Parts: sequence; structure tokens; C-alpha cells
Amino acid sequence: MLAIEKCRLTWPDFEADYTLNVEAGALCAVVGPSGGGKTTLLHMIAGFEKPESGTLTLNGQSLLPLEPSKRPVAIVFQDHNLFPHLTVAENVALGLRPSLRMTPEERRAVGEMLEAVGLSGFEKRRPGEMSGGQRQRVALARALVSGRPLILLDEPFSSLDPGLRRDMVRLVGELRRRRPVTIVMTIHTPEDVADLADQMAFVAEGRVIASGPPAAILNGPLASRIASAVSDS
Amino acid sequence: MTYSPPHPGSLVAFAIVALVAGGFIALATVDGGKPALLSISPYLVQVLTFSVIQAALSTLLSLALGIGLALALARRSFTGREIVLAVLGTTMVIPTIVAVYAVFAIYGRSGLLAEALRFFGWDGSFSIFGYPGILIAHVFLNGPFVARITLDALRQVPAEHWRLATAFGFSPAQIFRHLDWPVLRAELPGLAGLVFLLCFKSFAIVLALGGGPSRATLEVAIFEALKIDLDFGRAAWLALIQLAICLSLTAILNWAFARAPAGHTLRAPVSRPDIENRRLRIIDAVILAIGALFIAPLALSVLDGLRHVPAVLDADFIEAFATSLAIAVTAASLACLLALALASAARRRRVALKSPRIAALYDFLPSTLLAVPPFALTAGLFLLIRRFADPSQAGLILLPLINGLAALPFAYRYIAPRLLTAEERYGRVAASLGITGLSKLRLMDWPVLKRPLGAGFALAMALSFGDFGIIALFGGAELRTLPYLLYERLGAYRMDEAAAIGLLIVLAAFLLAHVSGRLSHAGD
Repeated sequence: MLAIEKCRLTWPDFEADYTLNVEAGALCAVVGPSGGGKTTLLHMIAGFEKPESGTLTLNGQSLLPLEPSKRPVAIVFQDHNLFPHLTVAENVALGLRPSLRMTPEERRAVGEMLEAVGLSGFEKRRPGEMSGGQRQRVALARALVSGRPLILLDEPFSSLDPGLRRDMVRLVGELRRRRPVTIVMTIHTPEDVADLADQMAFVAEGRVIASGPPAAILNGPLASRIASAVSDS
Repeated sequence: MTYSPPHPGSLVAFAIVALVAGGFIALATVDGGKPALLSISPYLVQVLTFSVIQAALSTLLSLALGIGLALALARRSFTGREIVLAVLGTTMVIPTIVAVYAVFAIYGRSGLLAEALRFFGWDGSFSIFGYPGILIAHVFLNGPFVARITLDALRQVPAEHWRLATAFGFSPAQIFRHLDWPVLRAELPGLAGLVFLLCFKSFAIVLALGGGPSRATLEVAIFEALKIDLDFGRAAWLALIQLAICLSLTAILNWAFARAPAGHTLRAPVSRPDIENRRLRIIDAVILAIGALFIAPLALSVLDGLRHVPAVLDADFIEAFATSLAIAVTAASLACLLALALASAARRRRVALKSPRIAALYDFLPSTLLAVPPFALTAGLFLLIRRFADPSQAGLILLPLINGLAALPFAYRYIAPRLLTAEERYGRVAASLGITGLSKLRLMDWPVLKRPLGAGFALAMALSFGDFGIIALFGGAELRTLPYLLYERLGAYRMDEAAAIGLLIVLAAFLLAHVSGRLSHAGD
């Protein structure tokens, strides 16, 4: 289980204080207004931001003392996930071995993961030769091939058109069935993941205002705030 | 069929092409158009060989220093870093004749280095003339320029890539391979080409520090053919060869190395994960120390002139200052007006007439002026206007004209993109409301354009104010600019006065460049 307890971060113009629990193997969709602290929450879990106080554990292991590269966490951003000078296969392989000196087994794993995201045959292509949706599939493949049990998706499909966005969400669902991982995903359009997510958290003003089953959150007292946040963002 | 008058930009483009072509034809035909290339071929080979070797070495050393400094500065933050960045930015506008003074002041026979060595008992001698002086001056002017451009490019790496590097635990070597090197690889060809072009065309530095006729660039050889030997035919051939080489290089730079727009990222900047590496700390400290030891004494050498400023404020100085100012203002006005006309024509072609290829020709025309040898153009135009005007007054016409044309590419780079921005923002609104012509200029373009126009004007003034180019042809008791006065004082070994004049030129250039920088970074 991912357990965040009173993790506090402060900047001159922003304060955040997070408390959130996500069950192992669950998909937690994080919604909320722009500038409310969704990305900061993910960056804190990934280790890019260090809380001044509080605890952050994954399956009982504290993540706070660990450097980002040592955390059992993989992250996918909205943009700029891929290095444009590397091929698709090399970009995925970075998740396994940053030196890119791979064993035959690792090479095979990269091929299998590309097949899983529907990009078999694209190994030698460069990111510049692919569409936005294909590039996000590559980033997803890299996050999954790393074998890390917690995957953070920071508005990964926001730049895609609605049809493609739903395809990508379906893909995430399929991939979860193949390999159980815990996913925390910030998203602008909660209806995209309403069927898929096990949990939804509403984050605003640097705090997790509410967390629970998606239906309860979307139809509960916060419904109008969520709708307003979605329309504003 | 209705007649529509040509666009002012088309007329300007035609006038520039006619002016350059007319100048060259006048120069090439003044001796009856004798084919003189064969007779100068051994000399030409010598000049070309020297030009290429010194330019290649200058480029190599400038890139090595500039890239080293850029990487070290990208990794390190320290007190005074902003001042270092400002100094790196300002060496771009140091007039070449001031750089010549700086080399003499530090590395000359009576320079700071020789004095220091003598203090420690060394009694040998060394000559700064030839390759050493030329390379030092070129690297001093171009190394910091390379550093600044490269540093700006390194900053464009998306924050997400740095976060990924942190998440993957990249080693310093992997960071260089996956984050720094792709940026350098994209920047290097263009930067190397530009520095090579500038050094290949170098005039004041090679003239003053070359140390003899065997060490001349094509630009110096053209000057000598015109000023000393009065051999117009030779000057024409040399100019055509320089034009062909520089034009080819400019064309390659313009098209082959056009970069994709920088990756847009909204994420806050992040620190590099390799800053903690001990070995890199030592390497960066060594690079920064070498850079400081090389650049700081040269950059600060003119400060020695502070004590002597009162001594140079005589009638000659006032007259030279007024002449420089008048030439700079006229040249900058001309450059901005021409740039505005050309950019407006390019915009019309690109947006209204949907012909991007012709628009690209308008964009390319100012760049081609970088390849035109100013001495040959000046001489050709001199031959043309002496038929219509008093030849003794030719300098007064040609100096602002040639300086204006030389500043045009820089003014164009400020003005053209913003003119296009204005169209993108307001073009449709203007069209729907029927706002055209001067009203459109006043209401739509001017608010977006006034700051880049000011920036382009200030930069063009800075370049013209410190220029020691064709004034070498016309300069004398009758016509003196401040850079020419500095050249005279250097020639007379009056180093104190040269320092004072150099300081004042540099101050004026820095002030103008600062204004230009502030305006270009300001919002609308």
C-alpha cells in the first residue's frame, strides 16, 4: 500500500500538506484544479520534491530516505518523456539499464513490452517520427518494463484528442491486467477513468480534500467543484 | 486590369541587389575588365591558405573554450555568476579595434604579461604578431559568444528530461551523452560556421596583428589592393572569391542547420543531478579558472584608460565622437527601415500570398550581406558615385550606407519575427475590421514592434559606433571616427590615450547593447 501521512512542503507562495492512502494494485485518479498541487504530489512521491515533515511509505518501506533513482517508482510526464536522439527501443531500455548495455533477456523484455503497447516493429524509429499517442505508449512501455511496483502518470494523455485519450486509458487497463502495479494518475477529465479507477482523490490548495470510490467522489458533495475544476483546466 | 504599385519591401530588395551588383560591376570593369585572376593566383593561394588556417584554428579554440565554459556554467552556481554571464554577453559587442588594443595591452612587448615575466627575472622576448595575436583576439571575441549561445541552448533542455535523468540515476557520462551532447550536436555546426565566417572575414585584427603582407585575410588583401596598390581589378577578383566562399557558407548555415523550435515546457526548472560529482567539480573549477585568466585581463584592460580620459577629451575627440554618433544614428535608422520594409514584404508573401519560398528569399537577403566584402562594395560604389558627387565627400555617404547594410541582418532578426507575431495575433481581426495600411501599422503592428525595433536600432548603433572597417579607407585628418582615432593612437604607440578612447568606445557599445538586450527581452 502507498501511504502518505501529513507530508508537508512549503514555498514562498504555496503550501502543501498531503495525506492519502492507495491500496496495492489499485489505480488512483487524482483530479483537481490547475495549480492545486496534483503534480507536486506526484513529484513528491517520485522524490523530486522533499517534504519537510510527514511519512511516505510503499508496502511498509519508507521512500523518503531514497534518492529518486532508488525508489520503486516509475513516472510518465505529459510531454518530453522521450529522448529524441535515441530510438524507441533505446528509450524503453533506459527503464531497465541507463547505460543501454543490455543482456539478451533485457532486449527481449523491451521487445515484449513494445508489443504489449502495440508498437511492435517501431523499435528503430525515433520519437520525432511518431505521433503524440505513440510517444506516450513508448513512455508507458518504459515505465512498465522497469518492473517498479508504483507507476505515476502525470497527466499523461492530456495533450491527446478525446478518442485517443480513451484508447490510452483502455490500454492502461489492459496492461494492469497483465501485470499488477499500483498507479497514481493525475487527470483533467475524470469521466475518462471513472470505469477504470479504483479510487479517486480530489486535490486542491495543496491538500487531498477527499478520497474514495470514483462514483462517490463524482456524485458526492464535491461534484460541482470537480466539474468547475475540469472546465477551468 | 488595375495597376498595383510594388511593395516597398520589393523595391528595397531590388535596390540592395542593384547596389551590390552595380558596385561589383563598377569595380570589375574599371580596368577594362581584364581577366586578372591568373596573374594573382600565387598570391591568392597564399591569402586563402592563411585565411582558412587562422579561421579554422580560431574556430576550434573558440569552440573549445566556449563549450567548456558553457558546460561548467550550466553545472555551477556561485556568487557573481550573473556578472560572469553579463561579461560573456558583452564581449560580442566589443569593437575589434578595442580587442586589438587589449591584446597589445596584455600580451604586447610592453604588455602586462611581459612586465610580469620581467618582474620574475625573465629577459627573453616574444612577438604577438602573426598567429598568436590573431588567435588570442579571435578567441577573446568569439569564445565567450560561443559560451553564451551554448549556455542558452543547454537551458532549453526540458525539465522533464532532467527529472528522468534523476529518476534513472544517470551517471555524469550518461547525462553528457543523453542531455548535453544532443544540444551541442545541434548547435555546433551552426556556431562553428558562424565563428569561421567571422574569423575568415576578419579585418581590423589581422590588419593590426598580422605582422606583414604574408599574413592577410581576403578582407585585408582587398583593402591593400584598394588603398595601397590601387589595383581595382585585383580587389574585384578577391572580393568575388570571398563573396562566393562566404555566400556558400551563409547559405549552408541558413538552410542546413535551421533548428527545430525549442521544446516547450511549463515545468519549473530543476537542478542538474551531476552537480555533486567530485571529478566534475574539479574539472569545472579548472575550466572556469582558465576562462577567467584568459578573458578577464583582456576585458578589463581598457579600465586602465580611466585615468587618461581627461587627457583625450580634446577637439579631435569631440569631432570623432560626433562623427561616430552621426554615422551610427544614420546607419541604425537605415538598417531598421530596410529591415522593416523587407520583413513586411516577407510577411505579406508568407501570410497573404501564401508563397513561403519567396518569403524565404526576403529572409535570406539580409544574411547574404554578411558575405559581401565591405571594402569591395565600398570601392565599387565609390567608383559609381564619383561620377555624380564630390569624391572627397564620398566617405560621408558611404560610411553610413555600408554600416547600415552591415547592421541590416541583425536588425532584421529582431524585427521580422515580431512582425509575423503581430500578424498571427491581429491579422484576422484587422482583416475582418478592414484595418489596413498606416492604421494597421499604428494600431496592430506598432505595439508589438516598438520594442524589437528599439532593440534592433540600439544594436545596429552599437555595431556601427565601434566599427573599424571601411573608415580605414576614408579615414584621415578630414574624417575621423572614434575607432579610427584609436587606431591612430595605437599606431603612434600612445597606449594610454588608446586605452582611454577604447574605454569610451566600449562603454558606449555596452550601453547600447544593454539597452538592446533590455528591449528585446521586454514583453509587449
